[in-house]
Amino acid sequence: MIFFNVIRVVAWKDLLCEMRSRETISSMFFFALIVILVFSFSFSMDQQAARELIAGILWVAFAFTGIIGLGKSFSAELQNDCLEYLQMSPAPKGAIYLGKVAANLLFIVTAEVILFPMFVIFFNLDVVEDLPVLLLIFFLATLGLSTVGTLFSAMTVQIRAREVMLPILLLPLAVPVMIAAVEATRGALNGNPLALYRHWIELLVVFDVVFTVVSFWVVELILDS
Amino acid sequence: MSGLYVRWGAVAVVAVLLVLLAYRHYERNVASLTPEEVLAERPDRVVRMTGLVRGGTLRGDLAVGRVRFDLAGQRETLSIHYQGPSQENLRELKTLVLVGRWDPAARIFQAHDIASVSNYGFVFGAYLVGLVPLAFFLFTMERKVGLLYNEIKGSKLYEPEWLDDVVTR
Amino acid sequence: MLNTIIRKLQRYKGWFGAAGGLCLGLGLYYGLVASPPDYYQGEVVRIMYVHVPLAHTSLLAYTVLFLGSLWYLWTRDPVVDNLCHAAAGLSVFFTAVALITGSIWAKPTWNTWWTWDARLVSFAVLFLILAGYLMLRTFIDDPEREARYAAVLAIVGFIDLPIVHFSVEWWRTLHQPLSISMRGVSISKEILIPLVLMGIGFSILFVYMLIVRTQMLYLSSLLNAKKGRLLSQVHLAKVEP
Repeated sequence: MIFFNVIRVVAWKDLLCEMRSRETISSMFFFALIVILVFSFSFSMDQQAARELIAGILWVAFAFTGIIGLGKSFSAELQNDCLEYLQMSPAPKGAIYLGKVAANLLFIVTAEVILFPMFVIFFNLDVVEDLPVLLLIFFLATLGLSTVGTLFSAMTVQIRAREVMLPILLLPLAVPVMIAAVEATRGALNGNPLALYRHWIELLVVFDVVFTVVSFWVVELILDS
Repeated sequence: MSGLYVRWGAVAVVAVLLVLLAYRHYERNVASLTPEEVLAERPDRVVRMTGLVRGGTLRGDLAVGRVRFDLAGQRETLSIHYQGPSQENLRELKTLVLVGRWDPAARIFQAHDIASVSNYGFVFGAYLVGLVPLAFFLFTMERKVGLLYNEIKGSKLYEPEWLDDVVTR
Repeated sequence: MLNTIIRKLQRYKGWFGAAGGLCLGLGLYYGLVASPPDYYQGEVVRIMYVHVPLAHTSLLAYTVLFLGSLWYLWTRDPVVDNLCHAAAGLSVFFTAVALITGSIWAKPTWNTWWTWDARLVSFAVLFLILAGYLMLRTFIDDPEREARYAAVLAIVGFIDLPIVHFSVEWWRTLHQPLSISMRGVSISKEILIPLVLMGIGFSILFVYMLIVRTQMLYLSSLLNAKKGRLLSQVHLAKVEP
């Protein structure tokens, strides 16, 4: 029971900080907005081209936004040596990790849900009937990014050049998530039947399960004072 | 350290010998002349000649292996009498390497074999990229080991007791 | 136990170097001179004898890195960490060379320097993961923490590799079939002899390079300790007697 309490407390702590400061969500939101703008300058798109490109643009924006959120998740703990206390606390490290993953997942999915309507408006998309599938894809892919990303955030926060190292370590490992998310999103946006892109969603589930288990197992080695 | 340089000197010598051997092999079995060079040099031995089979000039029975055609180089065109094994890649408008002898009196190239056009540049490049950096990498590592070993033996900066155990092990 | 093995290996490492060199020499002779050119690819097929063994050796190096990382987390022996670091450096090197030779081979056969083929992309991702591994190591001051984090990264990356490969394979094969596939081409004896010889040669040479590089990294950490870097001393004090 202590285990789940720790998860809940850590996630709640992050949520409370976020609700009071609104730092992470707002920085993620404006960063992603700028990414959308830059992309719309770079490609001149009609609706046909938009359908082909939009999934890729969407996930590039989401991935970089996610990296901002993931980096802040642990670097916020550096103030007042909070990280030291987290590492010294007798709570199971796996539970602290899972709490952080839950908080990050919530932040990034929230940012995505706020951003997605803007994509719909800016790029003239038609998404009404596939919305549940899209939300499922967002959730699964963000979970994949968060599990690995939280692990590496905990790792890079304790080294030099942390802002550079997080994307360098995370993105190559997240290649399967990116491919699967882009392909599934494209399938859903094009209105294809689910059977055509179901295997990508299954791949996301496999990635999530494998890396939640692996990260949960190895995080003790990283959050070790 | 001197042992290292001797060893790698031997490796370098062997490598140079191999390159020379490969070059001889290339001269004899791979390099080929163009029709212009054949006309200018008039070689009286079996040579390899590269050129393009001119369209509309291929006459004779390919199945039996007695064919006549014209082979074009940059400027010159030579007539060829080919007598040898039947070859699938003997077609019009195709670049070929012919093995045979130049007959200056009849101005005819008597060919007895056809080899495929080789692009040895790629093969050479790949082996160069594969092996030379490997050797260089290994050499720098071994040299570094020697240098570090000497430096550790020579350094008397600070030595707690247990480090002696580690060094002498 | 590993230290005993490494010490034994160090004493006889010259034989590894000689055996590897000999195999490579024989392989070069068979590959470049004795074996016939391919019916379809011509002389260019000879690139295979250096490219494929290099690619296999880089995977071998990553496997050694993975097992060594597990071993390090088990024993916390700094020499094992040096072994992992050495294997990672060699794996980056072999991966880079395999990618370049593959690119040279692709130009005459596929008429392009690079194609987004599943294997190529997997190897590029492998290269990026390993480069990240080496970068991570340079950014940590404490050798003990460096070893721990690097081991974690190596293990997570190794588990990721098959998933990367499958995802990239699906991604490509759904879009367009591969223009030339090596599958289905039965390999004859003339091709197999140089391929196996070069493969064995590169593997033995890899073992030799691994020993030399482990030695190099061990000596340089020893030198750091001798120069009075406290963290290196604390790290090295855990060397298994």
